[in-house]
Amino acid sequence: MNGSRSFNDRRVGVAALLALALVWQLMSVLFPMEIVPGVPMVPGWQVVVTRTFLSLSNFWEGGFGIPAASAGTPPSYGVAFLSLLFNSLDTFRRLALGFVIGGGIGFALGLLLSLSEWSNRFVGAPLRFIRALPLLAMIPLFQLWFGIADFGMVVFIAYGVGVIIFTSVINAVPRVPQIYRDNARTLGASKLRTFYTVTVPAILPEVRSAAVIAVGVGWAAALGAEYLGAQSGLGRIVVASEAFGYLDRMFLTAVVIIVYAAISTWLVERGFARLLRWA
Amino acid sequence: MNATVTARRTTPSSSPRPVRWRPRVDVVGLCGVVAMLGVWQAMSVHFGRVVPSPLTVANEMAKNFISAPTFRHYGIADAGYLDAILYTAGNVSMSMIAGGAAGIAFGLLTARRRLLRSALDPIFLTLGTIPIFIAAPFLLLWFGISRFSAVAIVAIYVATIVYAYSQRALYNLSPVYEQYAQTLGADDRRLFWDIMVPGTLPEILGGLRIALAGAWGLAAISELIGSQRGAGKVIQSLANSVDVKAIFCVLLLLGVVAAAIDALMALVISRVTAWNRAGGNDHE
Repeated sequence: MNGSRSFNDRRVGVAALLALALVWQLMSVLFPMEIVPGVPMVPGWQVVVTRTFLSLSNFWEGGFGIPAASAGTPPSYGVAFLSLLFNSLDTFRRLALGFVIGGGIGFALGLLLSLSEWSNRFVGAPLRFIRALPLLAMIPLFQLWFGIADFGMVVFIAYGVGVIIFTSVINAVPRVPQIYRDNARTLGASKLRTFYTVTVPAILPEVRSAAVIAVGVGWAAALGAEYLGAQSGLGRIVVASEAFGYLDRMFLTAVVIIVYAAISTWLVERGFARLLRWA
Repeated sequence: MNATVTARRTTPSSSPRPVRWRPRVDVVGLCGVVAMLGVWQAMSVHFGRVVPSPLTVANEMAKNFISAPTFRHYGIADAGYLDAILYTAGNVSMSMIAGGAAGIAFGLLTARRRLLRSALDPIFLTLGTIPIFIAAPFLLLWFGISRFSAVAIVAIYVATIVYAYSQRALYNLSPVYEQYAQTLGADDRRLFWDIMVPGTLPEILGGLRIALAGAWGLAAISELIGSQRGAGKVIQSLANSVDVKAIFCVLLLLGVVAAAIDALMALVISRVTAWNRAGGNDHE
């Protein structure tokens, strides 16, 4: 939450997370009720890393000479790992495509419309309303419009990410102090040059916070899009598990997604840290 | 982040007078809204089957606002859009109160205690990252399909956002203020009420506003996954029967109510923290 964290802080943080995992284990002992035979309400770690992980083999669609689970491949740790890997890659692909397309269009369009104060105000007002529309609740609509294949999912993720980045650009540009621009202009920079060398770098810090938020929203959008009708991906594992009450599989998927989300947030922050070395 | 809070000018000489709210009509922005409606209309002409025109949606809204006999066919109560949105608004309010209180309490508690902060930060961060599509079924299975579950789900996310904002608010408040007050003889209670509360209020309210903006969507999703009432439930039922104009109605209603309440909250914030700007102490 604040930039510099000492080694000690990090150790306390790791210890806290371990404590959280321990509390979960304790709860699994205290509440041993089962939701379906063999699946506890609170799946302890000893279940999650063995039986639950193995069960991911069921989502293996075949490849590398190993037939699909539906074709009778027996569950094994290797197949489970492959299954998790390939379902994750499917989700990554959709997320990355949506993030790049949505973020790129949002950023470019935001800048384009911020070239003049008038166009900024023109799109700013309806945007405030569009932003208020609840993103995840729009999934059924996007499915209807763009289908439930990859295309529809990518468009949905791109929309969620794009609106956030677009809004941040539209909001940030008018707040760049006029004196920066005036200064560049008195030194002889053209309007366009001032825009590229003064305005664009000046809004990047704000776009960074928006991008970090967009990573989280992107993950939620990716999972939501898959949740409602994908044939592969982490969201499909969640929905297939939920249908049968396999809380343990959902828990494992949640842990995996939390790790992925942390890594992708870190990557985006690092990327921006390089862009913003001067700040 | 609080770009939409536009500072309204007050004359320094008339400090006891409350800040008067004068709605300024942004003609350019209004043109933008009209243009958006125009684009929507044009889209509906081209894609009539999946994009209903604004007028069709308005008609549908008027017809089924108070009571919607057709909802029966979808297996939901025939109480209309008003009931659905009120139910969701109720869930959002309860989540904001519960989650907001927890977030503020833990945020303020950890702001000045480094060890506690390094321990709780990753826990709150992890909680906030759990995708709602997984958290919601868990809570629904544990606590049953009840209003409590729906509220608890949203409250968790509200708490994680408000936690971060409250913590940062007190963390960034210069200790000079407290030290100064202490040298003037202020006790703990006065320190709390006269320094910490006014010093952190603007940022905490800003955090609450951001949490509120997200809470509508989360509430709708938690209803979509498991509820018998509310806007999310209506969306889910209508989506199954591909009733696009009705889905539009619910989404627009959610958007309008969320935007209106957000504007109201911005107004309240600007009034409550009017001194913050008057003193030129705007650290947004």
